[in-house]
Amino acid sequence: MYEKYGRDAAFFVVYIGEAHPSDAWQLPSNIRDQVVFESPKDMTSRSELADICVVRLGIKLPAVVDRFDDVTERAYTGWPDRLYLIGTDGRVLYKSRPGPFGFAPSELEAALTRALGPAAK
Amino acid sequence: MVLIPLYALFLAGVFVVMRQPPERFGQIMRHLPMPALMIVQFETMWNVARGGQVQVGDVAPDFTLPRTDHSADVTLSSFRGSKPVVLVFGSYT
Repeated sequence: MYEKYGRDAAFFVVYIGEAHPSDAWQLPSNIRDQVVFESPKDMTSRSELADICVVRLGIKLPAVVDRFDDVTERAYTGWPDRLYLIGTDGRVLYKSRPGPFGFAPSELEAALTRALGPAAK
Repeated sequence: MVLIPLYALFLAGVFVVMRQPPERFGQIMRHLPMPALMIVQFETMWNVARGGQVQVGDVAPDFTLPRTDHSADVTLSSFRGSKPVVLVFGSYT
């Protein structure tokens, strides 16, 4: 989607607090896949883990890191994961249901093509 | 018959936990056996508990956050009038 629409829309990953860190609700699947990390204890370690996340997952989208007080996550209720589309007027055009169940890129793409209109073709 | 009020109490407890901040939620959930979650409508309750304040049509909360590559800060409102913005909230685990 980023490669398809990246010239007409801005895309950002917003790295937020870990969903299943090893010192909280860790999932067996993460242990199996060796994705085992403690919750970052300060902004420096959060930024370092965000870097690791971007590199290991091969994320091509520009990524930003939420502040350690989670101010952006709280404003958007973005945890554990969620998609938004913000229009050129600064208003919310699309908000997914909360992840992991509501993480629906196809819904986002439909909203994005509506927002872009002919530019999306 | 005693099971019904107990089940209702359990559901209410799970919902209250879902409404907690993420760190608190995770600390409680680590002690809850997975099979216990099989008897609740987790997704339905989760959608309500994590519904959030911002709705479609609302002005998106502005933010200025640093790029992970430390190249610059990104301010959401700087895109007003130029491009729509896709935000993908998430983490590694």
